[in-house]
Amino acid sequence: MLQVLLSGLTVGTIYGLVAMAFAVVFYVTKVVNFATGQLLMVSILLTAGLVRLGLPDWLGVGIALIASTVLGVIIYFVAVRPVLKFDRFSFAWLVSTLGIAIVIQATFAIIFGPASQPFPRGLHQIPVHLPGATLTVQEILTLVVGALAVLGWELVRRKTLVGKLGMAISTDPEIASTFGANVTAYAVGAFAIGGFLAGLAGILVGPITYGNPYLGDTYGISGFIALMIGGIQRPAAAMGGGLILGVLSIAANSYIGAQASDWFPFVLVLLVLLLAPNGVFASGDSLRKLFRRRSSLTVGGRA
Amino acid sequence: MSNTIDNTLVVEGLSGGYDRFDVIHDIAFRVGRGEAVALLGPNGAGKSTVLRAITGLLKHRRGTVTIDGTNVVGMGPHQISRGLAAMVPEGRRLFVGQSVEDNLRLGGMRLRKDRARTDQLLQSVYDLFPVVERYKAREATALSGGEQQMVAIGRMMMSDPSLMLLDEPSLGLAPLAIADLITALQQLRERKSSILLVEQRVDIALEVCDRIYVLSEGRIVDEGRASDIGTEGRALIDAYLG
Ligand SMILES: Nc1ncnc2c1ncn2[C@@H]1O[C@H](COP(=O)(O)OP(=O)(O)OP(=O)(O)O)[C@@H](O)[C@H]1O
Ligand SMILES: [Mg+2]
Repeated sequence: MLQVLLSGLTVGTIYGLVAMAFAVVFYVTKVVNFATGQLLMVSILLTAGLVRLGLPDWLGVGIALIASTVLGVIIYFVAVRPVLKFDRFSFAWLVSTLGIAIVIQATFAIIFGPASQPFPRGLHQIPVHLPGATLTVQEILTLVVGALAVLGWELVRRKTLVGKLGMAISTDPEIASTFGANVTAYAVGAFAIGGFLAGLAGILVGPITYGNPYLGDTYGISGFIALMIGGIQRPAAAMGGGLILGVLSIAANSYIGAQASDWFPFVLVLLVLLLAPNGVFASGDSLRKLFRRRSSLTVGGRA
Repeated sequence: MSNTIDNTLVVEGLSGGYDRFDVIHDIAFRVGRGEAVALLGPNGAGKSTVLRAITGLLKHRRGTVTIDGTNVVGMGPHQISRGLAAMVPEGRRLFVGQSVEDNLRLGGMRLRKDRARTDQLLQSVYDLFPVVERYKAREATALSGGEQQMVAIGRMMMSDPSLMLLDEPSLGLAPLAIADLITALQQLRERKSSILLVEQRVDIALEVCDRIYVLSEGRIVDEGRASDIGTEGRALIDAYLG
């Protein structure tokens, strides 16, 4: 039971980091970067490739993280900015980010081939025995990184002028710009953070998945489902969606059947979309209204 | 007259619009230093479009818009925001989910390194609107319409601009709130701010402003001193505003 929960949270943190990568970009630009999963794949394959060339693990990881961050920014300038400049309200980014996802995937398939690449096992070889469950150091690191990502994001958003200006840009970029906000700089920053978070998720999950060019699809879809569950409006909620998805997927595997996590997330997201179209953590959605109505009823009953 | 040096804003031959269609045509007007000028006009005349052209939000624009001697046509909004112009937008558009004080501080973004000046500006907003200070910790969009309008004016003041632009600040306000608004605008005027006020309410414009321009179908069709406009002129303007 505890093992299922902890394993679920670990997997969920990976989904959550990818979902956050989607959400941070959406928060600032209102664009969904469908190449987010590919950024995770890039960091895994680059680490694998660089380490195979003889670089130390830490250097491979560092270069891979920088690469996914920079690639995020490149995606903004190549696939997003030009189409938004043409028409700020068009949905052309949907096609252009999907297109660049295919290009990245094909490029890495050509370079690395379709076969699995070994990823440095590193911290994943060290088990930590807890009463009732066993995790690896890598998994514990994953949980810590996920918590830090959410805490860091919320701290900057609420407590700093940079974060408050980001919030203003998120809700009204036009008026924010008339008070000096450089909306383009924030968009670049958002794609960089998105690339970094996706890359981070890749480094953390690499020892389990190993490297192959099609990981982007798998984790891109899972991350997007987590985003739908948590709600696209707030990056912290996206992480929440990841945790829910992770725990329920692992639980489905252990209690329903070995392959249940293949279809279970889709059923889950369908339910969420029906009950709370804006995500479980969005304010004013039907789930919350349901609870609120219940509680006000009980209060009324007592009076 | 437009070449006198002491103008905060000089607009000449300004045309512009959306998606290749011009909605304002060859507009010329000016706002003297310390002067309050009203731009009147019916719905859809292009008043907000003129303000968008001045703040840089309108990309498709031709002609010259000179603020403090700088032609801002070709500049983006975040450049123009550096002390040249600030606006109370139509419908207030306060930053959602943020406190009154955060809204004000965001208005003063460009001066963030000058703490003393920011604090001084904040105090002057609070002196002008005590109710804003009382509610400074509340979420801005939870205030009443009149209170929100004061926050929007305060946010504009915080950037300490050469030119203050207000887009129909009276819209949707109760009579009592409008009286407060008029007092506030008069106080801004006494501080020698240069003001361009867009209004549909002629009475407010005449009470607050030195001069008025009337905009109709994207063109300036009339102008005059507020003091010269008698009841007759007023009826004429009212007819324009339809
Ligand atoms: N974003 C936009 N895209 C296309 N056309 C627009 C846009 N905004 C305004 N217009 C058009 O430009 C014209 C002038 O609009 P504008 O908002 O400047 O008028 P206004 O004088 O401010 O009116 P109101 O008193 O109703 O605020 C209108 O015909 C309007 O339909
Ligand atoms: Mg208007």
